[in-house]
Amino acid sequence: MLTRREFLQTGAAAAGLLLSGADAPPKRLAIIATIYRYLSHAQHIGDRFLIGYPYAGAWHKPDIKVVSLYVDQKPDGDLSGERAREFGFQVYPTIADALCCGGKELAVDAVLIVAEHGDYPRNEKGQILYPRYEFFQQCAEVFRRSGRSVPVYNDKHLSYSFTKAKSMVETSRRLRFPMLGGSSLPVTFRLPELELPLGCEIEEALMIGEGGSDPMDFHALEGLQCMVERRGHGETGVKAVQLIEDDAVWKAGEEGRWSKDLLISALSRSDTPLGTDEAEGKPEDLVSSGQLPKLVANPAAYFIEYRDGLKATLLMLNGALKDFNFAARLKGAPAIQATQFLLTPNPNVTYSACLVHGIEQMFQTSVAPYPIERTLLVSGILESCLTSKVQNHQRLETPYLSVAYQPPAHTTFCRT
Amino acid sequence: MSIDRPKLAAVVTTYFKYSHAENIIDRFLYGYGWKGTHYRPPMDVVALYVDQVGKGDLSHSRPEQFPFLRIYPTIAEALTLGGSKLAVDGVVVVGEHGNYPRNEKGQTQYPRWEFFQQIISVFKDSQRSVPMFNDKHLSWNWDWAKRMVDISREMGFAYMAGSSLPVTWRIPSVEMPLGTRLHEALCVGYGGVDSYDFHGLETIQCMVERRAGGETGVKWLQAYRGEKFWDALREGLWSRRLMEAALCRSHTLTPAREGFNDILPTDDDLRRLVNDPIAYHYEHNDGLVCTMILLNGLVKDFNFAADVEGRREPFSTQMYLPMPDGRTTLADFFNPLVNNMEKMFLTGKPTYPVERTLLTTGLVAAGVESLYRQQERCETPHLAITYQPTRESTFMRA
Repeated sequence: MLTRREFLQTGAAAAGLLLSGADAPPKRLAIIATIYRYLSHAQHIGDRFLIGYPYAGAWHKPDIKVVSLYVDQKPDGDLSGERAREFGFQVYPTIADALCCGGKELAVDAVLIVAEHGDYPRNEKGQILYPRYEFFQQCAEVFRRSGRSVPVYNDKHLSYSFTKAKSMVETSRRLRFPMLGGSSLPVTFRLPELELPLGCEIEEALMIGEGGSDPMDFHALEGLQCMVERRGHGETGVKAVQLIEDDAVWKAGEEGRWSKDLLISALSRSDTPLGTDEAEGKPEDLVSSGQLPKLVANPAAYFIEYRDGLKATLLMLNGALKDFNFAARLKGAPAIQATQFLLTPNPNVTYSACLVHGIEQMFQTSVAPYPIERTLLVSGILESCLTSKVQNHQRLETPYLSVAYQPPAHTTFCRT
Repeated sequence: MSIDRPKLAAVVTTYFKYSHAENIIDRFLYGYGWKGTHYRPPMDVVALYVDQVGKGDLSHSRPEQFPFLRIYPTIAEALTLGGSKLAVDGVVVVGEHGNYPRNEKGQTQYPRWEFFQQIISVFKDSQRSVPMFNDKHLSWNWDWAKRMVDISREMGFAYMAGSSLPVTWRIPSVEMPLGTRLHEALCVGYGGVDSYDFHGLETIQCMVERRAGGETGVKWLQAYRGEKFWDALREGLWSRRLMEAALCRSHTLTPAREGFNDILPTDDDLRRLVNDPIAYHYEHNDGLVCTMILLNGLVKDFNFAADVEGRREPFSTQMYLPMPDGRTTLADFFNPLVNNMEKMFLTGKPTYPVERTLLTTGLVAAGVESLYRQQERCETPHLAITYQPTRESTFMRA
């Protein structure tokens, strides 16, 4: 519980953070998107830079001016032209034009890449081939040509391909610009506000979620990663992965490959379990009663073996629940630690305001609030899991996922 | 069922999916998510009285699943387990939902007082009393509510009541520090008169009761509805800054403009989106002014904001209801409510004072009365209710 002094300081600190750079002209932002349609990621993230967003109990207006927009596709319901007219910026025909505002040199202070949604093909692993790498490379090319780089945020995973994702991170290092990526899950509200202590020893970790691949499994894997990266001496990377489906998932539970106790715990944090009888709303223990397998149409287990020995599992349980919950057993802790990553309802999706706060922080300070290596590693875990899936659900050694990094020293999820 | 486990009787109006009775009693029976596990309360509901068994009734199926539970045709039989003396260790009264008459002021006459009378009649006959919980406000009738609390004191049994709002998750997870000096407080919520207004009032009260000096009671209340609400808003009767802070805690703002998913409404937007705005504006005896605002059409959650001495920005939070209106499948805000009841049944001590709910019961009645009297100001000398808050926080945060 906060003391009175801390309580009074918290409000002032939150207010102070948002006033940084008050004397400087607003930073100029280019938005590079696949589509800009109602409730697309580009719209709900991009709009927050135009009209502001709720943060820490106030309507916060970023000291940032959107000066250009590129949209790769203009489907029915496209809002790009409407936004440009209302907020006084231009929609450019190419990414380079957007970054140079029609000129020859880089003319913005930050780039927001949102390549989620839109009509793109899928590969044999079921991955949607969003052109994140291609968008990013075009931005980097402008940076290189202009001899100047600016911070870049890339929504969700860096690319469907780990090779491409890795090359993006290498490019950001070579051209020396801060880069942030990823999902809202690591930064949204948690019920309860669980943060694992830095340096803790995790015996086993489990995430449960729902939804399709590869949009929702990415969110779930990043939620898992932002928790387990705080263990031991930091992240060491991943040795092997395996994705199994259907009855094999329950069989693996019986064999102890994932923990039923952790599943009970994670499910106890869910507000959306579907019961055995839809006519009733009763709060049941679906694991101990043995009812869970009857609810899940196509279960999937994503097994992750880390290089330091930690084993973590993501269970995608479509039909059993509609939220994302984490549980872990820590060495020396009497009880399992569990929390829900709160995905607040449509259409406000206020969780993306938590994400935009982190993005804005990086644009203003040129320091990413959490490491891009997290998103890089999760991009690779996801691709490798999906490779395992199409290779007869075989365990896959992943020596290329030796991505090591340190977690942020400070908590970065929404709690003010 | 162990003999050491306390036995409870549940006295409810009706028992259908998502009714308060189902939410509360099913949590005693099936358990619920608590502190990271599926937790089963260390006590058993062994007797159930259901006043109205209608379409969708689920009560009849519960004894099949829980053989220690029996349904009784009268309240007295439920409390005596069919015998002649009180035979339970606690009573849970859920007089919410069901088909009951409404009076000319729009109050649903749930029989909470009548249930209470029958329960204490068994206590008296048995010369023994046990702790009792009353869901939501004590009664639609202030005099009866007051009598209920007086009788509990006279007979010396632990008594608790109220809403889930004071005990549910808060986003962010903050508590009003004890002894804070407050200048003004408000809540922006949704729902109807003599129903969710109570939740809004409990949202405010569980926070402001922690102010310097503790609770002093309420001097007067005036309701504002329709055009009078818009006039009051324009004139700044309550703080616009606080109202905006509360709106910025909401996760359910109706988009004021097509094509935008999360946008702060202007005054014109408010008028367009909110059909029947309502405010209960009231002053405590120590001068603190509070406003409970219902903005149907704009929000579907309860958000608190206060102006706190020594703090530049408003203090604000959302009392989070994971509402099974399509958003969730379980009304898990009942988890902490049931957990607080359990503590009382185990220790014989309420975890928070019934005076809070007595005061909010009186405020609901005063709000209804003011609306009934063309929104005139109602003096409330009878609400000079003083009490001290609990030192410990009782809301869900682990």
